[in-house]
Amino acid sequence: MTAKILPKHAMQGWIETLREHYRIIGPKPAQSQYVFGDIHSADDLDLSYPTSILPPKKVLLPQREDLFRFDSMGDTPIVEPTFDDEPTVILGIHACDMHSIALLDRVFEKGTTDQHYQTRRENTTLVSLECTTSCSEFSFCKSMGTLSVPENFDLHMTDLGDEYLLEIGSKKGENLLRGFNEVREATDADFERLNKVMSEKWSHFTYRLDFDVTELPALLSLSYDSKVWEELGDRCLACGACNIVCPTCYCFDVRDEVDFSLRSGGRFRVWDSCQLDRFAIVAGGHDFRDTRAARQRHRFFRKGKYLTDQYGVVGCVGCGRCAQACLVHISPVDTFNELHRRRVPSAAAQEEALA
Amino acid sequence: MSSTKPKIAFFDFAGCEGCQLTVLDALQTHTELLNAVEIVQFREAMSRSDDDYQIALIEGSYTRPSDEVRLQEIRDQAQIVVALGACAHLGGVNAVRNAHRLEEIKNYVYGEKAEVYEAASARPISDFIQVDAFIPGCPIDREEFVRAVKSLLQGNAPDIPDYPVCVECKLRETGCVFLYGKTCLGPITRAGCGAICPSFGVGCEGCRGLIPNPNMASLREVLSENGLDEMSVKAKMSLFLTNQIATSDMEA
Amino acid sequence: MTNEMQMTLEAPSIYQPIMLSILEITPMTDLEKVFKIGLPHPMSQDHKPGQFMQISVLGVGEAPISISSSPSRSKNSFEICVRRVGALTNALHALSPGDVVGVRGPFGRGFPIERFRGKDILFAPGGLGLAPLRSVINEVLDDRSNYGRIIILYGARQPKEMLFRDELQEWATREDVELHLTVDEADEKWKGNVGVITTLFSKIQVSPRNTVAITCGPPVMYRFVLMELLGMGIPEGNIWLSLERRMKCGVGKCGHCQMDHIYVCQDGPAFSYAEIRHLEEAL
Repeated sequence: MTAKILPKHAMQGWIETLREHYRIIGPKPAQSQYVFGDIHSADDLDLSYPTSILPPKKVLLPQREDLFRFDSMGDTPIVEPTFDDEPTVILGIHACDMHSIALLDRVFEKGTTDQHYQTRRENTTLVSLECTTSCSEFSFCKSMGTLSVPENFDLHMTDLGDEYLLEIGSKKGENLLRGFNEVREATDADFERLNKVMSEKWSHFTYRLDFDVTELPALLSLSYDSKVWEELGDRCLACGACNIVCPTCYCFDVRDEVDFSLRSGGRFRVWDSCQLDRFAIVAGGHDFRDTRAARQRHRFFRKGKYLTDQYGVVGCVGCGRCAQACLVHISPVDTFNELHRRRVPSAAAQEEALA
Repeated sequence: MSSTKPKIAFFDFAGCEGCQLTVLDALQTHTELLNAVEIVQFREAMSRSDDDYQIALIEGSYTRPSDEVRLQEIRDQAQIVVALGACAHLGGVNAVRNAHRLEEIKNYVYGEKAEVYEAASARPISDFIQVDAFIPGCPIDREEFVRAVKSLLQGNAPDIPDYPVCVECKLRETGCVFLYGKTCLGPITRAGCGAICPSFGVGCEGCRGLIPNPNMASLREVLSENGLDEMSVKAKMSLFLTNQIATSDMEA
Repeated sequence: MTNEMQMTLEAPSIYQPIMLSILEITPMTDLEKVFKIGLPHPMSQDHKPGQFMQISVLGVGEAPISISSSPSRSKNSFEICVRRVGALTNALHALSPGDVVGVRGPFGRGFPIERFRGKDILFAPGGLGLAPLRSVINEVLDDRSNYGRIIILYGARQPKEMLFRDELQEWATREDVELHLTVDEADEKWKGNVGVITTLFSKIQVSPRNTVAITCGPPVMYRFVLMELLGMGIPEGNIWLSLERRMKCGVGKCGHCQMDHIYVCQDGPAFSYAEIRHLEEAL
């Protein structure tokens, strides 16, 4: 493994060097929470952040994104697609969010490639950060198998106290260190320190799922008609917060805007939410998912089964953002456990059956 | 759309005229508006008053029987009637009085002159005339107003969001005010304001009206869990939503 | 599922429409018009009846609209039948021949008509459901000798709401087409059947194992038509329908057309009943 050592005091210098070529995005405080935003100096960056309101997904798939601009003033309308190819570095991405980016890569590249996503993705360098303590009471990444960073990182940082160990995952990652002299090669002693951090971290996370995550798609298959969905539907406010903060949600709406000439403007997409009342309505007025219960079921089936069936990776990365955002305390891990509990006969019932 | 500019008129009923002030703001930041339409009545900004108009934007709520006649006159003239702001759209804060007996209110407000003034319960204008579109809010959102005018010029009803404020709060990464010990009607209130109140740390008061199919029962539980007693919940839900809750709560 | 994007394959963005001229506009009813749209080159051989286009008016929006012309007759143009129901369709109705519209597609999986050869085909469209089925009907009629009986049962709310009346006339006079019409409400001139579409089923006899049924209409109609078709003994795999969803992308990403694990924009919109009957969100 190739690895480098970056002293923490050199962070400012590194950011200054990077800023010559890249826009830098990283976690920074906002009110009492954290958001991924523009990093101008090391002082902006807080790599000890617990979690962010929105995942770094928003850099690759912005909340609102122009698809094309048009101008119909002349005889033939001109339609000009818009792409964002600004070289960008995202610093400090947690493992759960790296897993979600791996999923988004498959979604937007499978079948028909979405060139808007692809352009951004190709020009973005991902710098992940090893999670060594649980980031929030709502997270359950260990249960979902997303606590270890996947291999899609360009550079991966592990906090060794006064230094970071940087594992190089790609040429893009290597480029971030080019021409920066304050890093040194990692030594055997550094790798020993790394191993210590890695072996100690696991005990800081708990398993919160009562069963193995590989059983999740099958559990859901058996739970389509569960009463749980009605119960969630009764509580759900259909506010859409769970979808908006989710790192693996990618549904979108497409809208047009015009200037006052009414002849030029643009088409853009915005994040959408399958929990909203009219997500599945059609022109004739029929709503194919018109109850909150059916919408909750759809959400959890997407996270726990449909995406796994389609892309071979888990659709919920256990970040806990949705549970934190939900005013009526709907949480994926509690929901999955409840479905499991209702599928597995209780000990008392089993004894009764045997008697 | 014909080459002649559509003629627009503004009218005010019971309200603070804050929405018209927002329109004035919009005219200053989007001067192209003045090239796209011809304003023929706008008491807030000009002395001209012409009754030849196609689009009527009505601010303020119905509050007295004689309002109905004036509303009908506007409806007869205009091809398109737009309710501008919470008062016209929902009855607005004026409707707080609907919870009390009208005689009591009149006596309280007008004292011994109570008999001289006419009054009725405060209602949205759509209770009396057909309304083709509404631009919600107290006051209206400037950018939404501009978009709405463009839609009207295109011959379409404005595209007003039917999802709740929570969506916009999360999109702009405003911390949820419930986390700071405050309460908020965002989960049941129509978005489109950019979640401006929560972005200043203030809970949503519902000025843009309810989303379709709000989960009132669940929101009441959330409010109570976060420390609002029954009276406070009632007060919160009657600031802007009196006329909407009366019907939708019975269904809940 | 293969996704045929032959017209926009070369575009730098999959969301970028190509701008095509309207050749003809034919009013059908108070609410519907048929638009004939010119193509820069013939549509690919892969185009199947039952597919849809994403049609847009720049500055107003985009929506999925099924192609109502048959591939056999759409060499350098295609047709869509548009009901005026919202902003985009209002804008389309305001256009004139020579104006341009944005087009992406064709998208989705159409009806696998090559598998229907040799069989009797029973079409049961309701209302606007005739628009996509007209594409199949004409395709089959243009290859008439390869099919058995052609039966068309068409229901509309009122006589004046019937679509493609010239073609209905033509089909009525053809010896090799059995056409039965019905309206929910008759007017003074109407001499035919009155009642919902299911009242027409008693007028026909089919050999169920050799019949393919194709239906399209509003969701409420499906339940009753399916009951009739299943009651006749037509196998579930031989009953085909076209599902309506509000696709925003057409390429399986935006999520709007998903029903359970199925993406209507890619896996459909044409489905056999056997494929969707277990899906709660389908109908």
